[in-house]
Amino acid sequence: MIYDVTHVTSYEYELPVASADFLLHLTPHEGNGQHVIETRIEIDPPALDMQARRDFFGNRTTVLKITRPHQALDIRTVSRIEVERPQVPAAALTRPWEAVARDALNAPSLGPQSPVHFLYASRLAYLSTPATQFARESFAPGRPILEAGIALMTRIRDEFRYVPGTTAISTPLAQVFEQRSGVCQDFAHLMIAGLRGLGLSAAYVSGYIRTIPPRGQPRLQGADASHAWVSLWCGAEFGWIGLDPTNALLIGDDHVEVAIGRDYSDVSPVKGVFIGSGRDSLSVSVDVAPVAA
Amino acid sequence: MADELLSPVRTPQRAQAWTQSYAPLPGIPDEFIGPDGKPRAYWRGFLDSLGQFDQDDLDQRLATAERRIREGGVSYRIPGETNEQSWPLSGLPLLISQAEWNEISAGVVQRAQLLDRIIADLYGDGRLVRDGALPAAVVAGSPEFLRPLAGAKPFGGRWLQFYAADIGRGPDGRWWVLGDRTQAPSGAGYALANRLVTSQAFPGLYRDMNVQRLAPFFRAFRDGLAHAAERSDPRICLLTPGAFSQTYFEQAYLARYLGFLLVEGADLVYADGKMHVRTIAGLKRADVIWRRIDAEWCDPLELNGASRLGVPGMIEAIRQGKVSMANMPGAGLLEARAFQAFMPGLARHLLGEDLRLPNIATWWCGQERQRREVLEQLDHLSVSGAFANQLPGFDGRHSALVSELSLAERERLVEAMTARGMDYVGQEVVRLSTTPSWETGGGRAQLVPRPFVLRVFAAATPDGWQVLPGGFCRVSDRSDARAVSMDASVRSADVWVLSDKPVEMETLLPSGDDVRIIRLLGNLPSRAADNLYWFGRYLERVEAILRIVRALVAKALDPDAPTRVDHGPAERLQRLLVSWDAAPRVVASSLSLDMAQSALHDENNYGSALSNTIAARRAASSIRERLSPDVWLLVGRLENILRKPLGQSAVEAGVLEQSEQALQVIAAIAGFVNENMNRVAGWNFLDMGRRIERGINTLRFASQFAGDDADLELLDVLLDLIDSQITYRSRYLTGATLAPVRDMTLLDAFNPRSVAFQAARIEEHLAGLPSLRETGMLEQPRQIALKLKSDLAVEDARRLTGQTIYDYENRLVSLAIAVADRYFLHDASEPSPGKVRGLA
Repeated sequence: MIYDVTHVTSYEYELPVASADFLLHLTPHEGNGQHVIETRIEIDPPALDMQARRDFFGNRTTVLKITRPHQALDIRTVSRIEVERPQVPAAALTRPWEAVARDALNAPSLGPQSPVHFLYASRLAYLSTPATQFARESFAPGRPILEAGIALMTRIRDEFRYVPGTTAISTPLAQVFEQRSGVCQDFAHLMIAGLRGLGLSAAYVSGYIRTIPPRGQPRLQGADASHAWVSLWCGAEFGWIGLDPTNALLIGDDHVEVAIGRDYSDVSPVKGVFIGSGRDSLSVSVDVAPVAA
Repeated sequence: MADELLSPVRTPQRAQAWTQSYAPLPGIPDEFIGPDGKPRAYWRGFLDSLGQFDQDDLDQRLATAERRIREGGVSYRIPGETNEQSWPLSGLPLLISQAEWNEISAGVVQRAQLLDRIIADLYGDGRLVRDGALPAAVVAGSPEFLRPLAGAKPFGGRWLQFYAADIGRGPDGRWWVLGDRTQAPSGAGYALANRLVTSQAFPGLYRDMNVQRLAPFFRAFRDGLAHAAERSDPRICLLTPGAFSQTYFEQAYLARYLGFLLVEGADLVYADGKMHVRTIAGLKRADVIWRRIDAEWCDPLELNGASRLGVPGMIEAIRQGKVSMANMPGAGLLEARAFQAFMPGLARHLLGEDLRLPNIATWWCGQERQRREVLEQLDHLSVSGAFANQLPGFDGRHSALVSELSLAERERLVEAMTARGMDYVGQEVVRLSTTPSWETGGGRAQLVPRPFVLRVFAAATPDGWQVLPGGFCRVSDRSDARAVSMDASVRSADVWVLSDKPVEMETLLPSGDDVRIIRLLGNLPSRAADNLYWFGRYLERVEAILRIVRALVAKALDPDAPTRVDHGPAERLQRLLVSWDAAPRVVASSLSLDMAQSALHDENNYGSALSNTIAARRAASSIRERLSPDVWLLVGRLENILRKPLGQSAVEAGVLEQSEQALQVIAAIAGFVNENMNRVAGWNFLDMGRRIERGINTLRFASQFAGDDADLELLDVLLDLIDSQITYRSRYLTGATLAPVRDMTLLDAFNPRSVAFQAARIEEHLAGLPSLRETGMLEQPRQIALKLKSDLAVEDARRLTGQTIYDYENRLVSLAIAVADRYFLHDASEPSPGKVRGLA
C-alpha cells in the first residue's frame, strides 16, 4: 500500500514572535515493513537554520530556528510511504509473558531497540496501581504474551470511549480511568503503564492511520489526525509487535509509523520554544491519502 | 600556644567537666572519645583551648558567629516557601586528623576517578554492559540516563568535574560512602561561609590547631574549569535556576567568590553553534558553564520540554564541543542507589582495586538472586527506590526501615518488589558515628553526642583530582537519627582537618580564604542590568509615594490650611496616589489619613509603597551577587517598616513619622549605592533607573501642581514634594510664583531633584555604556537622552505650559522604552508584573 501523507501544523500568535526554536518528529522512519519514497518539510516563514538529525531511538528529527519576527507559522510535511508489513505471528505461539518480562529485564544491550529502555515509568506513562490492575486481568499466569496483549488492547477499546477533546496531553491517567474516555494518546499511555506495571517492555508509537470513509461517501481531505499506539516487546524471537488499543487492531498496512519513544514526550511531532509575549493558537490538519497503484 | 597561658587554673577544670559529662551512645563510635574509651588527643587540645574562654565570652563569640551567618544572608530556602531561613551553625567544628583525612581523601579521589570512567563508558563505548559488568536495565532505569548525550565527547574527556560524596563513620569505625553526588553537588559554598565565620570566632584556636585552608582547593577547581575550555581566557558562567532555588544564596556566594558570571537560562542563547551570554554589549561567548540546575532542565528542546530554566540548543552545543559543562548533563545517573550495588565489582573491573571507602551494602532487586537475598533478610534492611528519591508505591516516603513497617505495608512492599523488583534496592541500615554538639540544659552548656553526615568535595584539576580539606557537615539535633537530612533539626558545622605541621604562611591570614583580585565582573548580562535598573525604579517610586503621603498628612495637620474643597492640594495628592494604583480607585472614605495608610501598607494595591518595595526586593534578590549585604539588609528594613500599619488608632503624626523613617532608610540605601558600589555598568543601570523614574515622577508632580491653573498653595505643595522649600526661599523673597517654581522643578541644572538634572545624569550613564554600533552613530536611547538634555538646558521657564510639561513626560517615557528595547531581555517567560502594568 502506498500513501501520501500531508501533516500541517499552524501557529498563530497574538503578538509578533521574535524568534522560535523547534524540534520536529515529523519524518516517518524507514524499516519495519515501511519504505519512505519521498519526504520533505516546508516552513513558512523560512527557517534560518534547519538540520536533519537522528535521536537516540533512531527516529528522524528536524531542528530549526526562526529568527525573524513573525505572527504565523506553518510547518508542512509531505511524505509518500510504501507499507507492506510482515505477517504477525500467531498469538498462541508467543512465549509466556513472565518469561518475556524476565528476558526484557536481562537484555544485555543498551542499543536503541533494546527492551530495557521501555521497562520503566516515564514522564507521561508513569506507573499507577489502577492501570497495573486493569492490565493484570488480561495477564493470567503463563498466558502467551501476544495473546494477553491483544486481550488487553481489546478491553481498552471496549471499556473506554473514544471522545476527542475530553483530554489534553497532560491529562493524568487517573482521570482517564475515572471518566473512562480519552483519545488515542491516552489509550496508548494507559496500556503502556499497565504493561510496564507488570514488568513488560512497551513503547509509544506515533504515526497515522488510514481512515476508511463510510460506504458511498467520499474521503474527506484533512479530516484525519495523527495517531498513536503501543509497541510490545514479545521476546527476542518476535521482537516488537504493534497494538492499536484505540481500534483494537494489530498494526498492519493501514498504519504508518513515524517515531518510537517511551511516551508522547519523546516523539511529540512539534516541540517548540518561542520568545514572545502573546498567546498562541495551534491547528493541525492531517491527510492520509492512498495512492492508486 | 599563647592562649593557654591566659588562665591556666580554670582551663583543665572546664574541659574536664565537659569531658566527664560526655557519654557516647552505646555501641556507636564517637569522634571525641576514641575506641579505647579515652578522648582523642586533638579533641582534648581543642577543648582545653576552648575552656580558656569564660562562658560569657564563649556565648558571645557563638552569638556573633550566628549573627554573621544571618546578616551575611547565608541562607537557604525551604521548598514551597518564599522566605529564606538562615543556616543554623553548630558551635563546634568537626575535627579530623590528618592521617584519617588522608584515607578519606584517597578514597574519594579513587571513587571520583571510578565514577568518571563509568559515566564515560555508559555514554561512550558501552563496554561495561557488553562485558556483563553492569546490567543494561540498571542504566536504562535511571531517569538521569540522558539519551541525547549518548556518544557525546566532552572537551578534555571529563564527564565529572565536581563530585561530592556523603560519608559517615560506620559501627566498625571505618568511613562509609552513603551516597554519591554527581549531578550538581551543593554545599561547598556553605562550607566556605561556615569556615569564614568559625575561624573569625576563634582565630587563635584556628591558628594553633593547624587547620588546613580551603582557598587552594577553590583556586584549583577554577583552574580545572578554565582548563576544560576551548579558548585560553574563557568566560565561566554559573548557571542558576534563579532566586527561588533552595541554594541560591550559595550559588551567588560562589559566583562572587570565584569570579564567575552568575547567569540564568534566559541570559544564555545558542547561536552559530555556540553558547553566548546576552549582555548589554551584545552576545558574548560562554565557554564554560558550571551548572546548578539539574540536567533534565538544561534544554527544553531535547530534554524536558516544560523547562524554562534552560536554553534550546544547549545540548547540541555540548555535543559539538563548543561549550564545556560541569558536570556534563547525564553525569547525574550515578546518583541512583541501584549503582551502589555494583560499585565494588566495577572498581575491581575498571581499576583492578578494591574500594578504599566501602559504600553501604546494597542489593538491586532487579536481579533474581539479589532480590531473594533482600527478601530473606528483609527485616534487617532499609528499602529505597532504586532510581527515584522516593520509595515507589509509598507516596512521599524516602525509604522504609522494614522492621518499622506495619504488617499491611510490609505485605504491600513485598508484593511490589515481586512485581517490579527493578524499582527497589535493599540497603544495610547504618548507624552513624557521633560528634560533640552543644546542648543547653538548665542554663548550662554541655556536650552531647550527635550523629552527623559529612559531604566531601572533589574537583578535577589540571593536576588530577583534588579534595577540599574540610567539607559540609550536617549534625542532627536528635541522638537517634539514622538519616540526617537538611530539615529543621539539623545544624551545619565547619570541618577542620588538622595538619600535622603548621599550614603555609601565605594562607595564614585570618580570612585567608577570601583573596582574589578582580576589578570587573566581565560584561554585565542583560538580565542583571534589567534587574538593577528596576531595583532603582521601584525604590524611587517608593520614595515618591512616601513624599506624597507625607505631604498629604502634613496638609491634614496644618491648622492654617485653607479649606478649599474642589481641586485642592489634598484632592490632587490623592488623585496621584490613585493614578499610580497606590490607593484603591473606589474608596469608602476619602479621608487623607485612610488613604495615606492604604498607600503605605496595603499589599493589595499593587502600586503601594509596600508593593513597590516587595518588587524592589524581588528584583534585588536575583542580583544578590552584585549588591552589598548592607543594601540587602536595608531593603528588608524598609519592608519591615511598611509592613507595620498603625491601624485604626493611627493619628496623622504617627503616619508622618513612619513615612519619615522609611524615607531615611531609602536615603541610606542611596548612600550605600553611591558610596560603596563600583562605578561599573551595574551602577549605571541602577542609578539610571532611579533617574528616569524620578524625572517622570517630577513631571507628574509638576503637571498636578504647576499646571496653568496653579496657585500659591499648589506651588507650595510642589516645593515640598521635591524637597526644595529652603532653596526656593533662599533664592526668592516672594512666595511661590509659577515661573520660578517651574524653573526650579524642571530646568534648574543645579537642583538634584529637577528634571534637567535627571536628564543630564541619564545622558552620562548612557554615554558610559558600550555601543553595539561600530559606525560611531549614536544608539537610539542616547539620541533621545541627548536631545532631551539639551532641550531642557535651553528651555525658558516663562515659556513653559501645561502641554509642554506633558510633552516632556512623554519623551522621558519613550526614553525608558528605548532603554528597555536596547539593553534588556525580551523574554515572555519572565515578565515582572510591575513592568507590564504599573510603571510606564
